[in-house]
Amino acid sequence: MNKSASVVIIGGGISGCAIAYNLAKKGVKDVIIIEKEYLSSGATGRCGAGIRMQWGTEMNCRLAKYSVEFFETANEVLEYAGDVEFKQGGYLIIAATEKEVAQFQKNIKLQNSLGIPSRYITPQEAKEIVPHMDETQILGAAFNPKDGHLNPFHTTQAYADAAVRLGVEIMKYTEVTGIKVENGKIAGVQTDKGYISTPVVVNAAGGHAQIISEMVGVKLPLYSERHQILVTEAVEPMQGPMFMSFSQNIYCQQTPHGSFIMGRGDPTEPRDLRVTSSWEFLEEMAKTCIRFLPPLKDIRMVRQWAGLYNMSPDAQPIYGPVKDVEGFFLACGYSGHGFMFGPVTGVVVSESILGEEHTIPVDALSYDRFEKGELILEPSVV
Amino acid sequence: MRIESHPILTFEKGKIVKFTYNGKEMEGYEGEPIAAALHAQGIKVLGYTHHRNRPRGFYCAIGNCSSCLMVVNGKPNVRTCVEKLTEGAVVETQKGRGELK
Repeated sequence: MNKSASVVIIGGGISGCAIAYNLAKKGVKDVIIIEKEYLSSGATGRCGAGIRMQWGTEMNCRLAKYSVEFFETANEVLEYAGDVEFKQGGYLIIAATEKEVAQFQKNIKLQNSLGIPSRYITPQEAKEIVPHMDETQILGAAFNPKDGHLNPFHTTQAYADAAVRLGVEIMKYTEVTGIKVENGKIAGVQTDKGYISTPVVVNAAGGHAQIISEMVGVKLPLYSERHQILVTEAVEPMQGPMFMSFSQNIYCQQTPHGSFIMGRGDPTEPRDLRVTSSWEFLEEMAKTCIRFLPPLKDIRMVRQWAGLYNMSPDAQPIYGPVKDVEGFFLACGYSGHGFMFGPVTGVVVSESILGEEHTIPVDALSYDRFEKGELILEPSVV
Repeated sequence: MRIESHPILTFEKGKIVKFTYNGKEMEGYEGEPIAAALHAQGIKVLGYTHHRNRPRGFYCAIGNCSSCLMVVNGKPNVRTCVEKLTEGAVVETQKGRGELK
């Protein structure tokens, strides 16, 4: 069935749904989201779902602060019938090396200057916050009580429901097979369910963003990388914050339901679209987890899975237009923090499409930064 | 009624051992599933649902369904349908999701 739209968004994750919601809220009619499977079936629904304001660059601190403030009121603002389950138990980022101690103290100064209530704490203070941790394994920690984590499925659904109420159409189980460009301008999107004529396409395809871009002849400097994660059985609440280490390679949170979700990166992970699971991950994850959080040795794991980080050269997102193809907008390259920046994505990409000035400072995240060689040097990425 | 055979598990019926269920002394056969020993004593409620506090009993009997989770020797979330009974085991009804120590 053929149809037309004013904007076609490719990808039904947090980014696509947040962009659609923001466009519709600004009065844009005929917005269509195309999703290959179901909402949150890609990177969004596979992520660790943390949100931290503890970054090392001013821009990222500001973006994350915007997201946290949004998540705090998401149920009300989006008039969601469910609950996004925002657990604001903080992020405890442990310092395991002298380099981290110095970096965190520098980061905290910056964060505090921007109104982020993070603080440097001793191992003993860290243990008071996470009583089951082995404080002898750390030199200190950075803690921000306003960080936290939420449910990525509910959060995406909240955006999607609000968008649909405002007239957005979501085409699930629909695959984009081609994008038509005429005279350097977007003309339409071919899907396995028919053709949609449109002047604007948003690439919010997560781990598949580079494939979508190639459909319009734009070769993005992106690759996808598998990241694995697991969930345990539920126990009574015992851990408030997300427990995390950059150098020791772990993040671990306890959901409001009581189960623990934990993950770690691995430099040998395949750089393609595979989302299979490996036993090596399970073994390494268990070792790291038990070293820092010993009582978890007695908890049973329920299942493990994997998702894709869409990696950019500076591990930062790419937002906005592509100058060679008019009407083609990017919302990709999140490098593992696309979920937490979802509220920002929705606002800034809708502003880009409508030619409005950005209300959040993201100009540095434009696509042409790679051409100009103006990469962002963020010290605090996983 | 005592569960003597199982379609998947095999267990040896050992000597008679003593154990406690919520502080009450009981007897069962060493090596049989704890849930089987409880069942033989007429105890069919093994736990309660989290939201509505409804009784839960023996269900899948192969360690999959979580219906028989109990605290055994201080450890929560033990699947009593596949956990073998030992001499002096302390078996308790679990309240809530279990606390890790």
